[in-house]
Amino acid sequence: MGVFKDAEQLYQCIAGMMEICSEDQAMGGKIREAELVIRFVYSDPDSQITVDAKNPAPHGYFTVYRGENDLEPEVVMEMKADVAHRFWLGKVNLVSALTRGEMKARGPIPKIMKLLPAIKPAFAIYTRHLQNLGYQDLLA
Amino acid sequence: MSDYWQFYLPTRIIAGPGTLQDLPEHILASEHRRVFLITDRVLRQNGIVDKVVSVLKGVEMAGIFDEVTPDSEVALVEKAARLAGETGADYLLAVGGGSCIDTAKAVNLVLSRGGNLRDYEGFGQINTPLGPMAAIPTTAGTGSEVTQYALILDKQNHYKITFLSPYLAPALAILDPELTISMPPGLTAATGMDALGHAVESFVSTSTGPLARGLATEACELIFRNLPRAVAAGDDLAARLAMLLASNLAGIAFSNALVGCAHALAHALGALREVPHGVAVGLMLPHSIRFNSRQEPDPYRELTCRLFGSTAGGEMLADMITRLLQECNLPYRLSQLGLAEDDLPAVAGSASVDGAMYTNPRLADAEDLLVILQSAY
Ligand SMILES: [Fe+2]
Repeated sequence: MGVFKDAEQLYQCIAGMMEICSEDQAMGGKIREAELVIRFVYSDPDSQITVDAKNPAPHGYFTVYRGENDLEPEVVMEMKADVAHRFWLGKVNLVSALTRGEMKARGPIPKIMKLLPAIKPAFAIYTRHLQNLGYQDLLA
Repeated sequence: MSDYWQFYLPTRIIAGPGTLQDLPEHILASEHRRVFLITDRVLRQNGIVDKVVSVLKGVEMAGIFDEVTPDSEVALVEKAARLAGETGADYLLAVGGGSCIDTAKAVNLVLSRGGNLRDYEGFGQINTPLGPMAAIPTTAGTGSEVTQYALILDKQNHYKITFLSPYLAPALAILDPELTISMPPGLTAATGMDALGHAVESFVSTSTGPLARGLATEACELIFRNLPRAVAAGDDLAARLAMLLASNLAGIAFSNALVGCAHALAHALGALREVPHGVAVGLMLPHSIRFNSRQEPDPYRELTCRLFGSTAGGEMLADMITRLLQECNLPYRLSQLGLAEDDLPAVAGSASVDGAMYTNPRLADAEDLLVILQSAY
């Protein structure tokens, strides 16, 4: 079994962290400027999160959708949920993961690369968020 | 070196003077016979294409596409794929430098799969074998004849789309030095420095591994010994073959281990100021090495040990490369390229988000890269 016991826990952790980021002016602002709709498709557990920085809801710089939806993403990233977890802990080199096939990506990759420096603060936010949720075991 | 690495090489490599003659045998052995040749006008005019076609006995020539430009772009690939499809070709043959070979790889993708080239943009989008393809390099630098990459310019959005898949690598590469002797000294020098960049950067990349390091070391040795000879005497077949091998070995190394900072800067210089890739890589290499070596441990120490029996590391390697640039009459300062100092911040910004930065052995942001560029100005 992977890190997350079910999709619900994954949403709580990863989508929850993204929602916190969506209200962060420095990070959210830069992601908003990219005007990108990006979908993360996870396996084990099967789940998906779509980030809409093109037409965000009135609150926040972008909107985070849990589960399937009709949005048309410009970029789709596919990976095991465990890879996503390690990525948000700051432990995965995106380019290496893409070239090794641990992550698959469809669409204009440079737009994602451009966002990487901006999302660095999210790694610390993710760790804090897991601690606040009482998931210390996931940080081990 | 990371604690995890992979290595993959799907290409049969045949090297040596006159090995072009082996081409038809290998095409026929693949049970395909309708060949579509992809090349550029220069090679069509200087007789190289004729030389290749003349050896293709028993093979049907379905067509020749000679419109490849130095920066091949999406529309050109789709045009070539359409023409190849109309001729009923079932085997692609690339004859030329990196742009010709990358074009043929992308044509192979569209021809084998259909649709538009952009449908396959991304990583991990090509997961089953494509049609057979052979590559015959006429420059010695990109290593494209063995890499799993194809870089194609997206003119609308001003960037090069990277296509990456083991299935893009040609099934066959023929390294025949007789096809590179007509390459002029300037192009010989610049493409050779590109190969050196692949070798040095893959040796210290965060994704490197023992196989990549072995190949990169051998490539560096061959280049230091043979590039000045190949530049000075174009008809020196031994030096030409050594450079083709070096480019090939470095190509296998970086196809697996990726590159770093000098390539990120070269990509930006190419995109913003049209500096030829090899010229830019060569020029940025010593400065990138100096920057990366200012940390403990110096990532180049192992390489200078293997190459020169010295633990001097980055400073020494950078000096050796600067000397090589001068010996090959290549520019070694950005000011020699007519760049204004005001151009540098934009170059640094663009390079800082280049994919090659993520396997560089030292973290560098746009400010660090600007300092590197200023040191090279
Ligand atoms: Fe290169």
